[in-house]
Amino acid sequence: MGRPVGGILDGVDNRIPGPPVAGMVDPAHPPSRRAPLRWAVGGVVWWLLLAAVQVVWIEFDDRLRWLHILIAVISGVGAVISVAVAPLWRYRVHRWEVGPHAVYTRTGWLVQERRIAPISRVQTVDTHRGPLDRLFGLANVTVTTASSAGALHIAALDVDVADHLVAQLTDIAAIGAEDAT
Amino acid sequence: MTHPPLGQSDVAWQRLSPRMLLVHPVHELLRELPWLIGAVVLGSTTGNQSWPVAVLVFTVVVGVARWFTTSYRIDADPDSGQVQLRTGLLQRKVLSLPRNRIRSVQSDAPLLHRLLGLAVLRVGTGQEAKGENGSGTFELNAVQVEQVPRLRSILLAGSPPADAAAGVPAASKVLARWQPSWLRYSPLSVSGLLTIAAAAGVGYQSGIFERLQHSQLFESGLDMARRLGVADTVAVIGALILVASVVLAVLRSLLTYGNLVLLREADVLHLRHGLLRRRERAYDMSRLRGATLRQPLLVRVLGGARLDAVMTGVHGAGESSVLLPPCPAATTESVMLELIGDPDVVSGPLRGHGRRAAGRRWTRALGLPVLVGVALSVAVAVDGTSVVPVWVWPALLAVTAWCTLLAADRVSALGHRVDSRWLVMRAGSLERRRDCLATAGIIGWTVRQSPLQRRAGVATLVAATAAGVKRYPLIDVPENDVWAVAAQASPWVADSIWAIR
Repeated sequence: MGRPVGGILDGVDNRIPGPPVAGMVDPAHPPSRRAPLRWAVGGVVWWLLLAAVQVVWIEFDDRLRWLHILIAVISGVGAVISVAVAPLWRYRVHRWEVGPHAVYTRTGWLVQERRIAPISRVQTVDTHRGPLDRLFGLANVTVTTASSAGALHIAALDVDVADHLVAQLTDIAAIGAEDAT
Repeated sequence: MTHPPLGQSDVAWQRLSPRMLLVHPVHELLRELPWLIGAVVLGSTTGNQSWPVAVLVFTVVVGVARWFTTSYRIDADPDSGQVQLRTGLLQRKVLSLPRNRIRSVQSDAPLLHRLLGLAVLRVGTGQEAKGENGSGTFELNAVQVEQVPRLRSILLAGSPPADAAAGVPAASKVLARWQPSWLRYSPLSVSGLLTIAAAAGVGYQSGIFERLQHSQLFESGLDMARRLGVADTVAVIGALILVASVVLAVLRSLLTYGNLVLLREADVLHLRHGLLRRRERAYDMSRLRGATLRQPLLVRVLGGARLDAVMTGVHGAGESSVLLPPCPAATTESVMLELIGDPDVVSGPLRGHGRRAAGRRWTRALGLPVLVGVALSVAVAVDGTSVVPVWVWPALLAVTAWCTLLAADRVSALGHRVDSRWLVMRAGSLERRRDCLATAGIIGWTVRQSPLQRRAGVATLVAATAAGVKRYPLIDVPENDVWAVAAQASPWVADSIWAIR
């Protein structure tokens, strides 16, 4: 039998297994209090555009009455979901926390994700602020690792919280010290 | 990292093989073929034959100049040195690559190269994962075949493990060798059909069909079709296409893999194959993070499997990660055992995902057929039997039976196995795969739940790695076990401040 894969498994066997992990506590910190408002404004824009198109359409052509009513109902429901339901639901779900060795986030609303990555494998920490984010004084932080499937997104933080988080992460991670693959 | 500034190292620039003076003009001619044809047309219409000659001379000169303007250099120091490639006729370009970033070295010899004893040497880095054929690939086109092993060992010496073993003479061990019996898996692949479709497309485009339409062959064929009738004609044409596709698929498989050898030299895996176009890849084993056993249904039925490497710096899907084409499952397993070293990981039993995960497979597979059946029954009950054509019922029955088998197969496939060294995941029926991942290579976990999954109390666990396809999902793990799996594989999850013991 061949020698197992060299290098990467060294030392793994020496670990003493602890009791099995029964679950994970949710991360502690919610996003900014202004986050739902920002998400609602971001969501409503598209519905307003759709409504405008519909109004124009009815002006020019009001033959297919039932189709207009159907579309109006659909866009009404969609608008309520994206303006009221989704932002509040997201605010209840979204959490993040930086531990001594790992970053842990919880995101989503209908489909929910919890994601954890070790800080030693962090490659970059980016801050992103769109026009709406700037309007509400918010920032989004993205933490990437060498895997394209492992990036953590922490959305809608207060700017000072985001700055502190970035400083803290770059501090612990000592980014660039090793290959991190 | 400190690199010596460009061009200040004392290693001399080297030229590629002078035999490329023959290859380049030919390739250049092929590339400029439209121009050449245009020039010939122009020449014959104007009566001035200097046009095609001028274009011909120009392309040949460009081809020759390409050789004179291309040179490469390999710094001596494997840690801080670089490899550089200087190209460009008018626009000079220097591509530099730190030697310690080299992950794999491939060689590829298309027919013309092969005849002249040449091979293209391609150097893969981590960035290769983004675009196999993207610009900026480091490619020595071409060197003499005899130089390939030497260049490869020089280039791969930069990686740490090979460095440590540099003094030891490399003992090579053959892991797998192509057998004629492997051909039995190829007739069932779609590659033959695709070849026919491509040929038909080209034929249609070039107007060959239109000419055929008036030929004697076509007329006699049409005559025969009239005598046979529609159903028989369709059957005959179908059979012809089937036979042609099988022949083409087998032929293609034979030409591509007909002399495949997978061997291991110390910490480097070598894969060689290709009867006409000879390809050779070398993988640095320290970059190996596991392996994927893939079994498409038709291959699995015949007891076959294919093997992909899970490596950093090598794209996880497609040709670049193939270790073995469809071959007997026993061969794949023995190679996998050689790479992984743990028989339980390779073929050991897996832990199923329980009743609720099974329930979800059944609902998904049978939901639609049952719904259609109910709808049809209601239609019959309301409007009488004449609404639904008779043939619909056996068809529905067949579809339902197929879906039942599919669901049962998917349920029996789904499972995982985890210890502190390896995570094994198996799923799927039409495209079954068993992913074996080294836990040390996992650099992130995602637990994902859709509303329906939350209701069923299951979750999808996604292991993120820098290797292979990057994202390795394990579907419908019971909610209560999902973090235990992650924690067992990754100590940094178990030791994190959020873990509940």
